[in-house]
Amino acid sequence: MTVKRIAFVQELLKFMGLEGRLHLEWISSAEAQKYVDVVTKFTEKIRNMGPNPLRAINEMKKAG
Amino acid sequence: MDMVKAAKELLLQDKVDIFLGYRKLDGHQIPHGFTKAHVDDLDQLEISLNRYPLEKIACDLTRKDPTLKIGILARDCSQRALNLLYTWDQLNPENIETLTVNCCPSSLSTHGDCSYLKPKITGAYKKAHGIDYNDSPKNFMAEHDSQDRLSRWMYEFQKCIKCYGCRNVCPVCFCKECSLEHPNLVEPGVLPAEVPIFHLIRATHMAGRCIDCGLCEDACPAHIPLRMLYREVNDAVSDIFGYVPGDHIEKSPFSIIGKTVELTPAPMDV
Amino acid sequence: MDCEFVPSVCSYCGTGCGVLFEVIDGRINRTLPLKSHPVNQGKLCIKGWNLHEYINSYMRLKGPLVRENGRLEKATWDEAVNQAARRFTRIKEEYGPDSIGVLVSAKITNEENYLAQKFTRAVIGTNNVDHCARL
Repeated sequence: MTVKRIAFVQELLKFMGLEGRLHLEWISSAEAQKYVDVVTKFTEKIRNMGPNPLRAINEMKKAG
Repeated sequence: MDMVKAAKELLLQDKVDIFLGYRKLDGHQIPHGFTKAHVDDLDQLEISLNRYPLEKIACDLTRKDPTLKIGILARDCSQRALNLLYTWDQLNPENIETLTVNCCPSSLSTHGDCSYLKPKITGAYKKAHGIDYNDSPKNFMAEHDSQDRLSRWMYEFQKCIKCYGCRNVCPVCFCKECSLEHPNLVEPGVLPAEVPIFHLIRATHMAGRCIDCGLCEDACPAHIPLRMLYREVNDAVSDIFGYVPGDHIEKSPFSIIGKTVELTPAPMDV
Repeated sequence: MDCEFVPSVCSYCGTGCGVLFEVIDGRINRTLPLKSHPVNQGKLCIKGWNLHEYINSYMRLKGPLVRENGRLEKATWDEAVNQAARRFTRIKEEYGPDSIGVLVSAKITNEENYLAQKFTRAVIGTNNVDHCARL
């Protein structure tokens, strides 16, 4: 059920232009190392994407 | 006309208690519930060029009296809406009789105000900064890159005045407690609406539910191309799950717990 | 069960959008826009979509009420108008005419708006009258 929803929301975000910001991973509570790896990798990926584009649009709107 | 005769027969033979169709009043074509007591009013029955959500009215009547038998003048999109409402248990298929009418244009009759039959005209500024009404989702994805897509959709969504017209007129929206009014998701009393979260919530709820009737786009005072957005959403659903809302009476994949299709979580591409 | 649809005009601002009321068994249940109306062409704002809410609300006033001993009590039109006139005169004598202000709105007719501003300027004797659309 979760997989269905996440797959669909990823498609929707891609259509909007906000792709690659949602990721799903199944991790058991015994796989601590895997959790650390996934989170570090994802944080790096997001950091490389740069600042939130919505913030830039909102700032532009406020400036007029 | 055959339509009037068929409708009169349905009422006189007690197959339905009330028949929902259109009539002309003061120059406006509006819906009307014809009953057996005034069966001669059916001489004024006509197919309206302006479309109203008759299925929503049928739901209202059923909520007040669940045993009521209702007849509806149904176009193609109404038929799909009815199928969907049967799936979600809002209407009982044994209590509904439909009189199907053709909405496709022909040389003999003018067509209704559906944007498939009479495409809307998009102005030059909207084409340059926003989204063309008549564009197809695949075309849109191919033509513009990620940043362009985001700025175009944000241009459209920023015009929203949160009138809730899209939700109020939608024939398949029937939740008593709508998520769009939940204070934790959409902050109440704030205008302009928090973009794009308001529209993304609605788009997620329209997955597996929207039957592409176009009434939401007609009711939007800010001319946001909602029909195109929900068409894309349902293209995604039909690509991944093979489910088209309204075709048959079967449940949406989002309401079934369990596998309908083999899916694996997508790998992170760095 | 009876179901009929009554076309009408929105009672809020001065635009005058066309609305359609869904009347089931004599009670207004839902509001829809009138698609063939030239002013709004099938679109409504959030106030217009919710006209049916206030029509049947239990909070609607049914008659004049006068505040006595801190509570609102039912009164007749004469009592209410006389009491209002007495209090306005007292305030005008004690604090001067400029201490009273009048606010009008687009929900009442143009003739009533004219009457209200004439009342403020000629009877009370002040210029403090304004409109929600700054008319």
